[in-house]
Amino acid sequence: MFCPQCGANNADTAAVCSQCGRSLQVAVAPIPLQTTGVVLPPPGTVVPNYLVFAILATVFCCLPTGIPAIVYAAQVNNKLQVGNIAGAQADSRNAKMWCWISFGLGLAMLVGYGGLVMLGILSGAMHH
Amino acid sequence: MSGRDYFREHRLLTAGLVAAAAGVLILAVFDPATSGVFPPCPVRYLTGWYCPGCGSLRAFHQLLHGNLRAAWAMNPLTVVLLPFLAYGLAAHVLNQLHITKSPGAGSRATGLRASGLRRIRLPELFLPAMWIRALGAAIILFGIVRNIPLHPFNLLAPGAMLRF
Repeated sequence: MFCPQCGANNADTAAVCSQCGRSLQVAVAPIPLQTTGVVLPPPGTVVPNYLVFAILATVFCCLPTGIPAIVYAAQVNNKLQVGNIAGAQADSRNAKMWCWISFGLGLAMLVGYGGLVMLGILSGAMHH
Repeated sequence: MSGRDYFREHRLLTAGLVAAAAGVLILAVFDPATSGVFPPCPVRYLTGWYCPGCGSLRAFHQLLHGNLRAAWAMNPLTVVLLPFLAYGLAAHVLNQLHITKSPGAGSRATGLRASGLRRIRLPELFLPAMWIRALGAAIILFGIVRNIPLHPFNLLAPGAMLRF
């Protein structure tokens, strides 16, 4: 197991890191329910919610596929706040999936548009 | 492991960073308002409606040239969200570089140390679920309001504030 603080390789059974002394026990205590203010999740319960990518997908690319990504991102933090790590991980995968769908859709549109522009240039060049 | 191997291990991330840098460069040189380099917004193209992100490329172009006022007129939502998005992306990228996922492949952290790169960790922001839902609602609401053809709502349409 790798220490989340210093990255040192430790035995899987180690309770504390041999390099920096950090506890290697995975925290299972729920994050105290806090509805105001930005809170940091305790180490060991970091489940990515891909919120930044979800917003980027919604604003820069595809509203219809970005919104589900934002909804799942909210679900991830909702479940983390009540200590439902497994549920949060499942929603994390869904958030990631919708981000990738948006990315694929955006890329396909970009390539399609680039192809059309190229066709336009080519046909324009042929007529002259 | 050299720094070069280190970046080879993060192909996706490296590709993303290169693509992002290229995108920013193209966006700085070409103005989306006047050049045909950038594709139109698919939502606007298909429905004729402004989406919440319409004008964000033009806004980003203006920001790259230091014109905050013009950027604000193009898309105030993007300008407001940009610091948050920039921090979120920076934290994600930096923290990705230190994830030690596959013990079999050798310690990436050790490789990092050997490559002479310093460990930098930014805390990833944890927004309560309610905030995220409110943010999603605000984005949708902004998309609706900027399509209302009445003053002062129509000021939120891309570029409208520059004309009044």
